[in-house]
Formats: sequence, structure tokens, C-alpha cells
Amino acid sequence: MKNWTCWALAAPATIAVVVFLVIPVASTILTTFGDPKGVFAPYIAFYNSGFRRTVLYRTLEIALITTAISLVLGFLAAWIVANAPGRIKSILIIAAVFPLLTGVVIRSFAWMIILGKNGILNSFLLWTGAITEPLSMLYTEGAVIVAMVYLFTPLMILTLVGVLEGIPQDLVQASMSLGAGPAATFRQVIFPLAVPGLIVGGVLVFTGSFTSYATPQILGGEQQMMMGTFLYQRAMVTFDWVGASTIAAVMIVVTFAVVLVMSRIAQRLNPMAVS
Amino acid sequence: MSGRIHPALVVFGAIVFIFLVAPLFIIVGASVSDTPYLAFPPRGLTLQWFWNIFAIEAFRSTAITSLQLAVLGTSLSLIIGIPAAYALNRYRVELPKWLSTVYVLPILVPEIVFGFSLMKSVSVGLGTPIFLSLLIGHALLVLPYSVRVVSASLASFDFSVEEAAISLGCPPLKTFFTVLLPNIRSGVIAAFILAFITSVNDVSISVFLTGPGISTLPIQILAYMQQFFDPTIASVSVLLMIVTVAVMGVVEATLGLTFLAK
Amino acid sequence: MTVSLEINSITAHYGTTKVLENLSLLVKAGELVSLLGASGCGKTTTLRLVAGFLTPTSGTIALGGKDLTRLPAYRRDIGLVFQNYALFPHLSVRDNVAFGLKQRGIAGVERSMKADDMLARVGLSALGARFPSELSGGQKQRVALARALVIEPPLLMFDEPLSNLDAKLRVDMRVEIRQLQRANGTTSVYVTHDQEEAFSISDRVAIMHQGRIMQFDTPEELYQRPANAFVARFVGFENLIPMKVVARKGEVATAQAPGGVTLDFPQRRFGAVPDDFVLATRADGLAVSADPASAGIPCRLGLRTYLGRAYQYQCETEAGHLIANGSLAEPLASGSAARLVPVPEQCCVLKPE
Repeated sequence: MKNWTCWALAAPATIAVVVFLVIPVASTILTTFGDPKGVFAPYIAFYNSGFRRTVLYRTLEIALITTAISLVLGFLAAWIVANAPGRIKSILIIAAVFPLLTGVVIRSFAWMIILGKNGILNSFLLWTGAITEPLSMLYTEGAVIVAMVYLFTPLMILTLVGVLEGIPQDLVQASMSLGAGPAATFRQVIFPLAVPGLIVGGVLVFTGSFTSYATPQILGGEQQMMMGTFLYQRAMVTFDWVGASTIAAVMIVVTFAVVLVMSRIAQRLNPMAVS
Repeated sequence: MSGRIHPALVVFGAIVFIFLVAPLFIIVGASVSDTPYLAFPPRGLTLQWFWNIFAIEAFRSTAITSLQLAVLGTSLSLIIGIPAAYALNRYRVELPKWLSTVYVLPILVPEIVFGFSLMKSVSVGLGTPIFLSLLIGHALLVLPYSVRVVSASLASFDFSVEEAAISLGCPPLKTFFTVLLPNIRSGVIAAFILAFITSVNDVSISVFLTGPGISTLPIQILAYMQQFFDPTIASVSVLLMIVTVAVMGVVEATLGLTFLAK
Repeated sequence: MTVSLEINSITAHYGTTKVLENLSLLVKAGELVSLLGASGCGKTTTLRLVAGFLTPTSGTIALGGKDLTRLPAYRRDIGLVFQNYALFPHLSVRDNVAFGLKQRGIAGVERSMKADDMLARVGLSALGARFPSELSGGQKQRVALARALVIEPPLLMFDEPLSNLDAKLRVDMRVEIRQLQRANGTTSVYVTHDQEEAFSISDRVAIMHQGRIMQFDTPEELYQRPANAFVARFVGFENLIPMKVVARKGEVATAQAPGGVTLDFPQRRFGAVPDDFVLATRADGLAVSADPASAGIPCRLGLRTYLGRAYQYQCETEAGHLIANGSLAEPLASGSAARLVPVPEQCCVLKPE
């Protein structure tokens, strides 16, 4: 009876996920293995194509750089938020939450205004005399990275504020009472305890930027194609569904591998999970 | 945490936060520029781009579609998500551990892969109408928020209270509505808001599922942006940001903003 | 080297709320002093001030004659044992204990030797490689103690160290703490809300209330001779009867209780009494007598409960509700009339509140 009830309650959501997500995604992956030229033919083709390899490497590169920069910016900003007095802290949290609630399209669009030919940055540089001709900054890897950092830093800040505030004040005081100054306490107590949180934040940002679509579409265009925009182009422009599925499979493998490996590491490093 | 912060760090932090907020102000500035192209700072001031939004039918119809999808999709996700969250917490022992992972799959699987697969298997494979496909996509996309946020508030719920109600003669279903639901109300509200915002802002799934005549607002914005470079998009963005501010106001009034920080 | 701790007229605020007012306390070298009081009485604030996590608004704190008031916490050299242990979850037991030594620049080999020695002293030699999450409550408490002791601080402070342990372990641990403290002769401050714990472990106890010290004395003095009504109630004097002297004849003062009953107070038995005073007794300090002629407060007996060594009576008197113990030999029926006779040895004459 009990057993029946709990499954009945869980069934609608479970069935929905299985029917509309697990099966479609599995079928996407399976179609890549149906090539008459061999089971791995689409993957071999993917790897042999210089262009596709470039897209994959570029995507990895952008995602890694974005993650690294967001980690640094996010950690320092989170440190300030966590240590700020009450009122300032709420303002800072609002400043981080607001962009997060604003759509990706709008936030990427802001960088079109900033980086465009008539954009604020070009106007400023022309005004200072640093340049005489407007620079074309849109559709470059740099534009995509800046926008992605902008996109993901709030997420990193909020994740890390939670982590830093989760470190019991007692531990900081214990460290001080044992003679560790602020720098030593940071190095030997706070930072090691924040590492699992940094990993979690890093994974969020990496997978988010690795699989992003709207930002590279708006700011990268054809020139800076990433996995997401490439998948879309294959699927909806050239109607090469096997090719698109291959890209999808590669994306899944990379993100799942990163999530699994890193969360395993974070768990091992997380002494606060128990106790 | 309470330590003195190094002044250099304060300056650095200020720069980070300016970096976070300034672009949004720049959009506001660009939306009132009277130039026919995007410019900041605005040369002359005008509200014509705001009127332009209403003149373009596509913005109106896609905004309505987005709203319908968000309300229906979020409600659907809560209708199937709350029982699942309840089951996960109440029958922790009976249910297998992997089940909770199933409900986060929609955010674990790259959105763009999910959208593409849904298009291939459901829209094309089953021939589902466009709106229904979009609804399925959005409901599933926000399901993780419904399950996880409601779960979080159920985790601190003492289920013996529910047993007390039943022992006092309240039938189980009535107990759910009169005892359990009021106690997880803030979780349900938070889940609704998070899910709603996620649905309204979604691009990666919708981009595969929209079709002739039916599109969502972000997709329409994206399409418009690639053809025109006038400040209309800036004014649409400003309107959407005003909505976001209103949502934040509601959140602050009902739950406190720290709720979203979690 | 043992030193004394001097707290000189310290005032402290949380925001605008005054939490300590003009508090002074002298802990002699090698002494263990408890700060005892209900939550919010300022005992933890005092500890945090001495530790350096709070700065006083005015007043000074000196350890061994050296002024600490403006010194940052990490330069104070004070061993602290926290209520919830505050063990570093990312460090092994050995590294937790060695943490303070590392800050003092003690090299690797000597450091782990000292840490291991200390672990042996608290009986945890076998657990050095474990992590805090793998320890029981009592073991964590021992690690916390070892970590504070290993730096050989001139002052040890305990913040409700045993409140997270079960009753049996609490008694064992307090004996252990006292033995370690005695052996080292380290000056110690111990914060607790548990009266039994404070009295059993301390040389002297400061009873605190609303940011002030109500009485600072040995446990024996506090228990038998409370200095005021607050402390009397705190240490279990159930009956506090306000008295007014109405006549003095030679060395006998006659005083009146509310309701008009008068009692004689011979000086050789009760000491000199002022014109207004409070007669404080525990239940044992009022003898229940069925003899209507005895010189006591007339009462009507209410509920009788059995204590094992005596019967306890709830008594209604003209002077209010009193509690008294009567002998096991002659149980009296509830509702009967009796007299409550003060036992001089168990009475305290206090200043009125």
C-alpha cells in the first residue's frame, strides 16, 4: 500500500522526464551510431574535419577562460559581499541577483551596444584619441568571452557567498585564538573550506558556457561559431541531423564527464558534508 | 564572516559590481536615443522606440505566447513536481536514490541538446502542434526548480505534524491542502517565481520548437536583432527589466531576496 | 609560568545595547574561575572580550600585567575551547592539534611530536589520522581541549564546553578538564549556565546577571551565604521573607513579617540584623512543627510530596506561599494547621532588594 502510494506520487514527473527527455535524448545519441559507414563514422568525420575540431577547441577554450575569470572575479566579489555590513550586503546581493533574473538575450544585447561600431567603447576610445577608426570588436572571441563572464559572474558570486557564509564563524575565531592572523586564517582555514564550493561554481560556469547558444549567436555570429550555435546551424539550416546529433553527443559526453569528475572531487574535498 | 577588507579589494569589488550593473543602465540609455541606430550615450531623447514595440505585431503576439507558456508550463511542472518532491521526502527509504537525479536531468542535459532532441522526437517525430511542443519543453525545463525548491522546504517539514492531523480525523488529501501546503507555501512561491523567470527567458529550447506563426519573445527579439540595429530592442529590454524589478519587489515582499540567493 | 587575569571596569555594547556595565574581575594565577548565569547575562560577552573578538567601549583587560585590550585576537595567546568544538573539518585530528604550533613557527618534527604528546595526554593517540567528522562528541571535545592546551597558553578559556555532551560524559569530562587544568596550573575562565558544573569545577564562581557580577566567591560561600536576594534565589533559597524590626530588647530583635507575624532574632544565633532585611531559607531551613506553641510562622499545609529524606510541604501563610520540609517520622495531613520555625544555621539575613 505504502509502496504503491509513493510510486503513484512520483510517477507523473518521472514519466514526463523519461518520455520527453530521456527517450528523445537517447534517440539523438543512438542515431549517431546508425551510419552505414561504421558505428563511429560520424565521430571520425567530426574529428577529421578541421572546422569542426576548431569549433570544439574554440568552445573549450572560451568555456575555460570564462570559468577562470569568473572564478577570480566571483570569489573576490563574494568575499566582499560576505564581509559587507548588512545594508551594503543586501544592495550587493540585489546587484548580483538582478542581472541573473534578466534574460540571456538582453544581457548579451547590452554588449552589442557597448562593443558595436557606434558603441560606447568605440566612442570613448575615439574621444580619447587612442584610435582614429572604430575597432570592430563584435564577432570576436573576446566579445563572446566578455559577455559570458558578464553572464556567469553573478551566478558564481551567489554560489560563493553561500559557501563563504556557510563557513562557521567559530572556525575563524578558533584559528585566530590559536595565533593565526587574517592572512594565515584565510590561507589555512577559509580557502581550503571554500575549495569544494569553487569547484561547484566552476562546474556550473563551465557547463553553462560550454553549452551556451544565445550569447555566441548574438556576439560571435558565423565567425566565432561555438558548439551550441554549430548544433543549431547543422540542425536548422543545413538539416544535417546526424551531424547535429553528433555535436549533441559530444556536448553531453563533455558536460557529463566534467560534472561527474568534478563533483566526485568536490565531494572528496568536502569535509563539511559530514559532522 | 567579519574581517576588515583591504582597500584595494574594495576598489576591485566596486569595479566588478559596476561591470555587473552598468551594461543594464547602458541599455536604458540606448532605449531613449533618437538616433536610428544603437548609440550610447543617447544623442537626443525620444520615447518613439517604445511606441515602435507596440506597432510591431510580432512583439505583442510573442509576448502573449511567452506569458502563456510560462504560466501553463510552470503550473504543470508544479502539479507533477510537488507530488514528486513530497514522495522524495516522505518516502526517503522506499524510493531509490537515483530518482532525485531523474528530476534534475532537464538542467543536467545541455538545454540546446534537449531542445534539439525534443524537436526531432516530439515535434517532428510525433507531429505535436507547435504550442504543445513548446509547453512540454518549458514544463520540463522548469521541473528541476519545482522539485528542488519544494523539496528544500519539505526537508525542514516535520511529517509527524501530518500524522497528527490524520490522527485527529483529517483525511489524507485534505491534510495535504490544509496542513502540508500552507507550511511549504514559501517554497512553492519561490519555485513558481524561479520557474516562471527561467521559462520567460528561455532561448535554447524554444529556438528549435517555434514555428510558423508561433514564437516566444526572446526568439522574436533575437530574430529582430539580427535584421535591425535600431533601439527598439533596447526599449523591449527596458520593459522586460521593469517586469523583472516588479518580480524582485514581489519576492522581496513575500520571501525576502536572500531566498533567491540560495 | 602562571599569570593572573585582570578585568578592570569594562563596559561593552552590542550596537547601542549595553551588555556589560563596569565589570571588574580578578582571576588569580593558577585559579579556575567560572562565569555562571542564564543566557544573556553577559558571561559569553566577557569571554569574547578577553579573547579579543569584541572590543570594550571602556575599561582594560590585562594578562600577567600586560595590557591586552587593543591587541588583535591572534596575538593574545589564549587557549579557547568552544561550545561546538570548532574543529577544522578539513584537517586531521593531529593537524588540528598542531595548528597553533604551526602559527608559532614550530618546525615539522617538533610540531608533530608535541601534537602526539598532547593527544596521548587526552587519550587519543590512536586517532591522530582521523578527521573530526569521524569522531564522537566526547572525542571531539578532547581534541578541542588538546588543541587549546598544546600551545601552552597562559590563560585557558572554556565556552560552555560540555553543553553538547550527554549527562554521564559531561560529569566525566569535567573531572578530566579539572585534572588537566590542575596539573598544568593554567589560569582558566570557564563559562557555563550549569550551576552544578560551575560549583564542582571551580575555585571561585562569579554569578552574573544583566551584565553585572552579583557575587564572586568560592562555591561554598555562594551556596551557604549568598550576598543578596538574586544569588539566594539562584542557588536555591525557595523562601525569601521580607522582615521589619519592630522592637529591640538587649541582643534580641523582634521583627515582623508581612501579615503581622513577629519572630525573635537573637544576635548570637542570627547575627546582627538591620531594621529592614530579607530572611532567606531553603525548604530545609524552615522546620514544620505541629505544636501550636512553637515560635514560628503559622501556616496551613497544602500539597505534601515525598523527597526520600523528608516530606516537603507547600504552605500557605500570612507572609505568602512558603516551602518547608518536615520529618519523615510524623507526616502531617494536608489542610492541617502548623508552624514554620526558622532554623538559624540555615537562614541568611540579606539586605532588602
